[in-house]
Amino acid sequence: MTMDFRTNLVAEIPHLRRFARSLCGDASLADDLVQDCIERALKKSHLYDVTKPLRAWLYAVLRNIHVSNWRSNAKHQNAKSVDDLYDGEGSTRAEQEDNFSTNLITEALDKLPAQQREVLVLISLEEVSYKDAAEIIGVPIGTIMSRLSRARSTLQNILEERGTTFLRRVK
Amino acid sequence: MKMFETVENWALHAFADGELEGEDKKAVEKLLLENEEARKALAAIIYQKSELHKAFDGTLEELIPASLLTAAYGRPSMRILPYLVAACAVGLFLIGGSVGWLAGQSNVNSGQILITSLAQRALIAHANYSAEPRHAVEVAAVDKDHLQAWLSKRVGSDFTIPDLQSDGYTLLGGRLLAESNAPAGQLMYENADKQRMSIFFSANTEGKLTDLKLEQKDKLVTCFWRDAKLAMAVTADISNDQMKVLGSTIFAQVEGRHGVYER
Repeated sequence: MTMDFRTNLVAEIPHLRRFARSLCGDASLADDLVQDCIERALKKSHLYDVTKPLRAWLYAVLRNIHVSNWRSNAKHQNAKSVDDLYDGEGSTRAEQEDNFSTNLITEALDKLPAQQREVLVLISLEEVSYKDAAEIIGVPIGTIMSRLSRARSTLQNILEERGTTFLRRVK
Repeated sequence: MKMFETVENWALHAFADGELEGEDKKAVEKLLLENEEARKALAAIIYQKSELHKAFDGTLEELIPASLLTAAYGRPSMRILPYLVAACAVGLFLIGGSVGWLAGQSNVNSGQILITSLAQRALIAHANYSAEPRHAVEVAAVDKDHLQAWLSKRVGSDFTIPDLQSDGYTLLGGRLLAESNAPAGQLMYENADKQRMSIFFSANTEGKLTDLKLEQKDKLVTCFWRDAKLAMAVTADISNDQMKVLGSTIFAQVEGRHGVYER
């Protein structure tokens, strides 16, 4: 274990925290996830291919832990099917406009199926390439693209359903 | 929006995500000029992205929780200590020298753990913030007087920001670091080659005074000491010899006397 690896790992922590938070929503669960990721990354550092970006490898490590937690814990299975998306949960509006849109996007994320959510945040938030996303998740690029378009479509439906004025705002 | 799911519009996603080049990119640009639906879909993608960044980018600016730094840097004592205890139990304590060495390595000695952690805190803080092109400091050098008063107050000891202009380092500014035990300040300087150097300081809660000491981690080296009030560390990506000179200079300016390096 070189100190270089640790230093580079520490430099990636802010991005790992953002990725984890966007994956599981809850800040303290997210930091637990990052901690597990750091520990596993240190244990498995010999498996890291130094010719590739460290961040993408760490995203894969973190994502694998998240998926196995998610599978083993029924509590985390809060991803709903598309049919459940319009069940009239839309009455809790935040009072402030800023919070309103932030809450809206995080609430909408919570309603995405997990497979769509991870692709969406990797690409729309973490800005990894389609190729890296495919490697991180372990599926072909075509699958990434179809999950991405479905995720964006679902998200857009939720946002529009909730009456957001995005079209006015972006003009 | 049904149009997000059509095969033709995959190109629009790829365009929004910076995946297209050359002819493919031009084709989408042409589509955007001609087709209002495509423009709306692109606007929606961009809007979603900006909302996601708005909701989560705050995390990037937060200080890294101590638990995560501990996870990354580890605690050698936790792994070595059981062996040390076992060694003592079977009477290896007769070889006093080796046990002493082990104790030093494993931070069992309480004096050692504090000094190691001062250097480590400074190294971590430097590694974290010197790499930030835009957010290296919280308060810029233009507000130097305010910075000095603020950090003195928060750290709990009057502190004068060293002027290192004649040593080639210009003050960029400083920040308050949220430390688990006590607040600490960090001053960031830069030389003409844009190389950064930082001064870390927090209250010397141990009361113990030390000489100058160097510690290295990868390319970074830190020179640190404790005076009657403060624990201080100067950190930069320079050679040990250069740091010895710089550390002495700053020590002399802060302490008003010549410093001695511990060996």
